[in-house]
Amino acid sequence: MKKILMVSPQLCTGCRICELVCSLSRDGECNPLKSCIRVFKIKEEGIDIPGVCQQCESPLCADVCPVDAISRDPDTGALIIREEICVGCRACSMVCPYGAITMDISKRIMIKCDLCGGDPKCVKFCLTKALVYDRPEVLDTLRQESTLRSLVKPLLKSRETATIKKEKTK
Amino acid sequence: MTYGWMGTILRVNLTNEKITKEPLDKQIATKFLGGRGLNGITLFRELKAGIDPLSAENVLLFGMGPCNGTLSLGSGRYNITARSPMTGGFGDSNSGGFWGPELKYAGYDQIIIEGRAEEPVYLWIDGDEVEIRNAGKLWGRDTFETEQILKEELEDPRIQMLYIGQAGENLVRFANVMTGLYRAAGRSGMGSVMGSKNLKAIAVRGNKGVGVAHPSKLQEAALKAYDILYSDWFAQLFSEEGSPCLVDIYNNRLGALVTRNFQAGVFEGAEKILGKYFDENYKIANKGCFSCPLHCGCFYMIKEGPFAGLRWGKAEFATIVNFTSRVGVDNIEVALRAGILTDKYGIDLISMGGVLGFAFECYEKGILTPKDTDGLKLEWGNGDAVLELVRKVAFQEGFGKILSEGVKRAAEVIGKGSEDYAIHTKGLEHIECDPRGLQAWGLGYAVSSRGADHLRALPAFEYTISPEKAKELYGTEKAADRFSIEGKGKMVKWFEELRAFADSMEICKYITRTGLLFPEPLVEMLNAVTGMEYKPDDAFKIGERIVNVERAFNVREGFSRKDDTLPKRFLEEPLMEGPSKGHVCDLEPMLDDYYKFRGWDVKTGLPTRAKLEELGLSEIALELQKMGKIPPEKKTRLEEKK
Repeated sequence: MKKILMVSPQLCTGCRICELVCSLSRDGECNPLKSCIRVFKIKEEGIDIPGVCQQCESPLCADVCPVDAISRDPDTGALIIREEICVGCRACSMVCPYGAITMDISKRIMIKCDLCGGDPKCVKFCLTKALVYDRPEVLDTLRQESTLRSLVKPLLKSRETATIKKEKTK
Repeated sequence: MTYGWMGTILRVNLTNEKITKEPLDKQIATKFLGGRGLNGITLFRELKAGIDPLSAENVLLFGMGPCNGTLSLGSGRYNITARSPMTGGFGDSNSGGFWGPELKYAGYDQIIIEGRAEEPVYLWIDGDEVEIRNAGKLWGRDTFETEQILKEELEDPRIQMLYIGQAGENLVRFANVMTGLYRAAGRSGMGSVMGSKNLKAIAVRGNKGVGVAHPSKLQEAALKAYDILYSDWFAQLFSEEGSPCLVDIYNNRLGALVTRNFQAGVFEGAEKILGKYFDENYKIANKGCFSCPLHCGCFYMIKEGPFAGLRWGKAEFATIVNFTSRVGVDNIEVALRAGILTDKYGIDLISMGGVLGFAFECYEKGILTPKDTDGLKLEWGNGDAVLELVRKVAFQEGFGKILSEGVKRAAEVIGKGSEDYAIHTKGLEHIECDPRGLQAWGLGYAVSSRGADHLRALPAFEYTISPEKAKELYGTEKAADRFSIEGKGKMVKWFEELRAFADSMEICKYITRTGLLFPEPLVEMLNAVTGMEYKPDDAFKIGERIVNVERAFNVREGFSRKDDTLPKRFLEEPLMEGPSKGHVCDLEPMLDDYYKFRGWDVKTGLPTRAKLEELGLSEIALELQKMGKIPPEKKTRLEEKK
């Protein structure tokens, strides 16, 4: 089963380490503009959202590419842009639902996440686990559990208070 | 210089609007790295002694380091340097955020701002294109509004900005420079220097990358550094509670928390200002600066009461303490609100806390009455008066005008013995940690090049390491005893070197408050980025060189041993209660010790020719000699014969 890269904006601290390690491992320099993952900030609200390709099951980018430069890696399931074919027409970036395909301004071709061949660097360097890489059924369960846990927080809190009260009366 | 450094310095003269680009001197970069070090030597060379800090003659420097903008940990910082309007000596402040890296991406290692614009302006740096623009509609706005207006004008969320608030415009001496809404270059009045130049903001957008000599080595070094960081208890605590966790340490454990203008070292209302209390009741998310795995920034919100919904991206230890225990207030929400005000008006909140504590104590002692304070009752615990005074200082309104000059000058105006309550060194207000319970910190405050400040030395080991480790590092087990003065000269020198090194790489001090303090992991990252072959010992050498340049700058402005001192309160009045009860700061013997280790003249505190030449600073030795600050070279008989 192919793994997916899951993003949890609520865990993102906005440090942009993912951008740095992505461009560093791809191009040997630290340059957010050459990164395939980018963090967007709503500073006034303290919210950070990493934007990265989700390797759609029915990829619009591959569908619209006029030169068929985008194809799926059979091992990782990543959608790969073949540099030598890409003509930089930007059609893929127009249809991407995540806005996750950008132009490399020096090479003048489109770039996107290729999951680093199955070992995504951004995930390895993300210390708060805002980015994780695993099979979808595992990640979906984890996300579901953490969401439901937060729903019962008030219930847990009331039990905690009751315990403290009991200890105080001892 | 393709790796680490960008190789270009941007020089902007605001008087004649001339913009030039100069190559970065590689030799200087190798010797001083960048950031604070590069700014230090530049300031020494650009200025002559005795200019007015708030005149067009001052220069304002923005310095980046070779690791800024890379995967190197906490590499989001930058330094602002100028002659300080607070101390008249070396002025310098360091801030996090995202601005420094963006300036590297725009292609620059340093900006030198000269002169003074006729009308308010802002600087727009769009990579190679640099423009001085009219800031008419920004002038008079707070920092939050400035960010919003500029964002709309420049239309790109990637643009990073720094700016001053109304305090900087109004030349409040301790005005700061804010970056990206929440990060402050707070100390030594860099905001008022910027205001005196009529420069409201600098907006930057880059499109280059920072070259890395050994990309895979940098990744390995960073991963290793994350492990070192997170094996440290301090980092674990910090990544959760942020710097407010320090309230517990300084109050409960050390008994060295500023309370009512340093009348005490423990605060009875501490329970409701603890980091844990803040974390549980207000924090909603941890936020990090650029490339920082520690993410100590706390985004918080007031959830209940009349201020429900009020939210902001930063509340530090200093935010909380300066507006609570320092003025006897036990309501954390006063501090949160005051912190937002100081950030928006652009005021250094440590100096603000200093002037508040001073004013409140003068009021208690009867030196000030409601007649002097525009009717405000400055009684300990009066939170409303705290908030009102912050506003009055920012706009220099009434009594606020006197306070906006800092405690030293305010005491000169008020007189009546008020100088005893003006807690400052070299004209800069003290931070929140009482040196009577921390001897090495006291020494650090006294000798710091920018006045009473903890970050030049930050000798955290004084209360964190084992006696064995202290003996290994500083030659005596007593160095691990915070009440002992033994080994503290060496300890402070050791720390100052490493702090100056990190400030020049532009790595955060909270990152290096852990196992990452030691030079090995830092040098590993520096070498991976730059391709140079620095050795761990070079970190000490570079640090020492920087400290000596800053010292020489201050000496040129007339400073000497007499200025390396502490307020009488710390030297003579023992703390009355708590874990540091009965102690004062025994400064003089530590100073002797320190100068000796520094290789400076013990009597005067002036650097010696031998030391300056050993560090490759002959040009500075020559200049100090011309001023009569160091004696001319004595030739040996053998040399004379030649």
